[in-house]
Amino acid sequence: MTEILIKNGFVFDPINKIDCQKMDIAIKDGKIVKKVSESNAKIIDVSGLTVMAGGVDIHSHIAGSEVNLGRLIRPDDHVKDVVKKTALTRSGTGYSIPTTYVTGYRYSKMGYTTVMNPSMAAMKAKHAHEELNDIPLIDKASFTLLGDWWFALENIAKGDFKECARLVAWMIRSTRSYAIKIVNPGGLESWGFGRNVHSLDDEVPNFCLTPRDIIIGMAKVNTMLNMPHTIHLHTNNLGVPGNYKTTIDTMRALESVYQGDKPIGHITHIQFSSFAGDNWAHFKSGAEEIANYLNAHNHMTVDIGQITFADTTTMTADGPFEFALYELGGHNKWVNSDVETESSGGIIPFHFKRKNAVNAIQWSIGLELSLLIKDPWKWFMTTDHPNGGPFFHYPRVFAWLYSRKAREATLKNCNKKAQKKSLLPSIDREYTLYELAIVTRAGTAKALGLKNKGHLGIGADADVSIYNINPETTDIANTYKSVRKAFGNAVYTIKDGEIVVKDAEIVATPSGRTMWLDVQTKEPCRINDEMKRKFKEYWTIEFDNYPVTDHYIKVPEKISIKASV
Amino acid sequence: MTKVIGSVVCTICGCLCDDLEVTVENNEIIKMKNGCAVCEAKMVHGYKSEERILKPHIRKNGKLVPVTIDEAIHEAAQILTDAKYPLLFGWTSSASETQHVGVELAEELGSALDNCCSVCHGPSVMATQEIGIPTATLGQIRHRADLIIYWACNPWSSHPRHVERYTAFTEGRFEKSEFKEYVQKLKAKASQKKVAAAIRRTQVRYQSPSRPKSALVEAPPQTLAKEGRKMVVFDVMKTMTAEVADYFVQVEPNRDYEIFGALRCLVNDQELDVDTVGGVPVDYLKEIADVMVNAEFGAIFFGLGLTQSIGRFRNVELAIALTRDLNRKTKFVVSPMRGHFNVTGANTVFAWQTGYPFALDFSQGYPQYNPGEFTAIDLLRRGDNDATLVISADPGAHFPKGALQNMLKYPLITINPDWNAISRLGDVVFPTQWCGIEQAGTAYRMDSVAITLKKVVEAPKGVPSDEEIVRRILEEVRVIKAKKTATDAADGNVSQEMVGSKKRRSKSIEKEMY
Amino acid sequence: MITITPKRAFTVQIQATCINVDVFTGKTIQDIKNLPITEGKETITLNDAFNITENKTVETPNITLTGDFSKVKRIGQGMKTGEIVINGDVGMHTGEKLSGGKIIVNGNSGGWTGSEMKKGLIEVHGNSGDYTASPYRGTSTGMRGGLIIVYGNVGTDVGCYMQGGLIRINGSAGRYLGYHMLGGTIYVEKDCAIRVGACMTGGKIIINGTVELLMPTFTVDSIKPKVKIDATQTAQGPFYVFLGDIAERGTGKIFALKATNPTCSSYEKYL
Repeated sequence: MTEILIKNGFVFDPINKIDCQKMDIAIKDGKIVKKVSESNAKIIDVSGLTVMAGGVDIHSHIAGSEVNLGRLIRPDDHVKDVVKKTALTRSGTGYSIPTTYVTGYRYSKMGYTTVMNPSMAAMKAKHAHEELNDIPLIDKASFTLLGDWWFALENIAKGDFKECARLVAWMIRSTRSYAIKIVNPGGLESWGFGRNVHSLDDEVPNFCLTPRDIIIGMAKVNTMLNMPHTIHLHTNNLGVPGNYKTTIDTMRALESVYQGDKPIGHITHIQFSSFAGDNWAHFKSGAEEIANYLNAHNHMTVDIGQITFADTTTMTADGPFEFALYELGGHNKWVNSDVETESSGGIIPFHFKRKNAVNAIQWSIGLELSLLIKDPWKWFMTTDHPNGGPFFHYPRVFAWLYSRKAREATLKNCNKKAQKKSLLPSIDREYTLYELAIVTRAGTAKALGLKNKGHLGIGADADVSIYNINPETTDIANTYKSVRKAFGNAVYTIKDGEIVVKDAEIVATPSGRTMWLDVQTKEPCRINDEMKRKFKEYWTIEFDNYPVTDHYIKVPEKISIKASV
Repeated sequence: MTKVIGSVVCTICGCLCDDLEVTVENNEIIKMKNGCAVCEAKMVHGYKSEERILKPHIRKNGKLVPVTIDEAIHEAAQILTDAKYPLLFGWTSSASETQHVGVELAEELGSALDNCCSVCHGPSVMATQEIGIPTATLGQIRHRADLIIYWACNPWSSHPRHVERYTAFTEGRFEKSEFKEYVQKLKAKASQKKVAAAIRRTQVRYQSPSRPKSALVEAPPQTLAKEGRKMVVFDVMKTMTAEVADYFVQVEPNRDYEIFGALRCLVNDQELDVDTVGGVPVDYLKEIADVMVNAEFGAIFFGLGLTQSIGRFRNVELAIALTRDLNRKTKFVVSPMRGHFNVTGANTVFAWQTGYPFALDFSQGYPQYNPGEFTAIDLLRRGDNDATLVISADPGAHFPKGALQNMLKYPLITINPDWNAISRLGDVVFPTQWCGIEQAGTAYRMDSVAITLKKVVEAPKGVPSDEEIVRRILEEVRVIKAKKTATDAADGNVSQEMVGSKKRRSKSIEKEMY
Repeated sequence: MITITPKRAFTVQIQATCINVDVFTGKTIQDIKNLPITEGKETITLNDAFNITENKTVETPNITLTGDFSKVKRIGQGMKTGEIVINGDVGMHTGEKLSGGKIIVNGNSGGWTGSEMKKGLIEVHGNSGDYTASPYRGTSTGMRGGLIIVYGNVGTDVGCYMQGGLIRINGSAGRYLGYHMLGGTIYVEKDCAIRVGACMTGGKIIINGTVELLMPTFTVDSIKPKVKIDATQTAQGPFYVFLGDIAERGTGKIFALKATNPTCSSYEKYL
């Protein structure tokens, strides 16, 4: 492997507390090393440019059955955004849900090198992995939907967390996944008969337990298994006015499991769970309450799910939410896709408009949260791609974070009612590049427990992104447009020590790795005849044909974890 | 040496039953458990066909002669590169790994790319693109559905284990199997028949009164309001599935759309200005609408009777709209009865690489999609393409004459395991392995759940997998293109010779066929 | 005026988005000859496939196409001004997304003619194909304005998701005329096949001939002596007026001539 020396850049590496230091980064064999000999190494002079670790996205729906169904129903969306084949790259289409190859290229052009695919139905895991194999240039991992899995529900209801943990470990291994994803706990099971749960203490029909039990139970399981990431939680009542109370209830419920060291839960796309007001007419922001709670507590992390005002496609495993959204009217397509014994799903194409009061307030909520949560290590930047907006709109979100001027420019064009209700004019905070590096790479890598990602210390993966921003001479808040452009067009992206993007052009297309956890429990889950019989009853696939085999993972990175059960 | 292999996946229909138990002796499947008759026909007997292609062939002077694989690959690649606008068609009986390479080949060639779904459930996909689809995996239906509607399909014959594995005759967590009731019903029917026969025998001397000629459709039976699973069949004729059902509604051909429309109104509590719709009295439809609304969980399965009769994707669109309306009152899902075992896979694989499920065109360097414009039959009937590659499909047996005639005017490459109609007409004929018997891979069930196909026996010596063939053609195409670019650069002009040297097929083959 | 004639008969599709007055404007004849088009997968110049001549004395029409253009697609796509006359058949997507100007086809035109059109005029003197004035797959915004006149018959699915403008068909119409229509007017001089106006929620369809079969999801509203086609034209009735599609809670109107639709008399009892 070649050696690379990145010279004279301004380095932002929050994990190693490096804030805008002019220093060299040496790369050898795909890792950051102390030094390389200048005569052997390829030298990249990046004087006057910003150097960061490759971006780490904690939540972006890039592959899987749901995502592909979203692609499939939107020819109208693809025809607007076509990508030609080149000698090196494959063709494809966008817009809101780009095809696999285009997803890889576009992430790489923004300097992102690791992306988490946060919603994978276990039964459809093979499909997700087949797609992930076709996404080049980025490392990826998937989270398995386990919050409404019958085996888990039954064991939590019984109070047998140990057995539940063993089963979860088996499932994580069998689906080659990285974390536990919980979506509207209890709600998806209820949706099996067209119902939903509306608070933490509603009973889940047929299972004698409540969403609260599921959340706490899974958090316990997560701790028992020593998972690198926390439970990844999509709250109950998502997308319902007044739901910020449920969100705070959820966070409060998890306080009991907190052991005082590291966060115990992650609430994803919290913007959609921070609504106040009793109904859509009185819709307003609950951002302040959520932010205050988070500022006072340390057991949670969140990501935002920022709205970017785009004609996008919403998709989530939260089937009942999508149906409620459909019932609001104005949509021509609605997809629901239930998965037996596990999960559900829904898709609706959705155009977030500036002139729509609710949409504009949602946009404001996202930014209010981002700016009011004081500690950037507690929250991370996402658009919940493609729900809030496609991932290649991230630079726009960055601009809103680091530039008050950018926020004002957008707010000016928003719905008048929303403008009045927005807290944004009262917030002066502007993110620094250092803080931006936290919410896009360092913090996410830390929250995900990815030790070799999100920083440029020795031994880290040589994933580096270099942007045409001179922090010494640029007033980023005032020249937000050029900085925004720079974030969208990396000068260099280096993936595992290989230059993959140069001047915003793809110059190499290596496959990224798929990370998965091999959670080793002290005693393995009892795969006996009893379980096999249950398996046959619960699923329509044979036990032997269920697990994802090595065949489905092109470049695997197995991470072994020792569980405490 | 005998071995028994369990959890083998059947490669017939979209059900992808994966509980087969196969006994292999001397590299031959000799016995099978759990499979349906159709499955057994292929997986125990059919695949051993004497019509198996064992060597690549090229047509020379009107006769197919065996050649080496290298020669065939080169010839195929040459044909495809020379053509201005080739069409790659088929793919649905291949593993998704093969389909995956297929998209890359089409992209490299700038060709049209279509799969068999354009002649089966393509319209279902198009309907989904118009209004989405509320659907579920088959297990969800197995556990919960208390109303199962088969519309314009006959699973008893086309998907023989569908009812038994996923719907009425299967034990779910919340809904029980109706198989026992069915057996009782059968017995009752048989004894009724016996009684009737006895009466007939005694009364043979008397003129039995002729039954009054009633409408085609019987009134909904009382049992439709019973607890437990119910099965209703809508079709244009009384099929075996209809015999099994609790209620059968005979629809006038090509009037499904009107019935869906009427049902939508009735489900939404609206009145109609007509008395019958599609041959069914509105009063009956009202009762059916009631049954639908009162179901805990309903499921509609529809087949080619909707997608390939007048209206095509619009029929499906309204079936989906009805399901959507019903979701305001209860829980309802709708699902197409996909035919070929991996036709869903073809849609899936094409979609993640290009955004579109079938009817693709790469002539502009990026994927374009438009059924009617780039679908195989439409292209062929207009005579828009000038070379064809057919893989794991038999348009020779199924395409309309006009389309086939145009196809045969130009070079044809086929990749199929046996000498079917299209292989016999090919100019370059590849042998290949039986996917799911001699070749492992991935297939997608009708509810788009990926299942791994197993390799159970070894393929005959020298017969490659279709994935390998397509991959090698792709490599060869790249080599030819690179050479061509090099010579063009050397000559300094683009030679038009290629166009002139295009091989027209000898008329004798066309005669051979018609 | 630029005159374009094919040099040879074409086998494979030709995509010629560049045959468009907006593109030609300000270009010399040599520039025009060098414009790229694709024949199948191959990119060629306009001159490779067509003879192109210029007649500086004639201003309108700006482009005249003479010959068989039935394999040539996307002529006049997105055009804003000017006039194209086609003497012969023309392929698919002619005048797609037209936002001004005029396209006259003295022959038949292919599918998706005037698809998603916004303004301007398309005149087809022969028949027009399926999906005339209908949007692309999965799109729910159809024709928004302008005028399409077809002197012959039209295929199926004409005027889907139409929101405004007028389609005047002097022949007969195929199935699903005005499917999911939201606004605008369609006038059919002769007969109309089944499922006319299915799922429509607005707009009007006037049928001066026989309706093969009306969807059961329409309810009779009244009988009107005449109906306005546009500001200047009126169709003489009496017409049955049907409202629908009630399954979509729509308020679209179908006007079916009483004289030619005796089967509709069964609805009279509800009046």
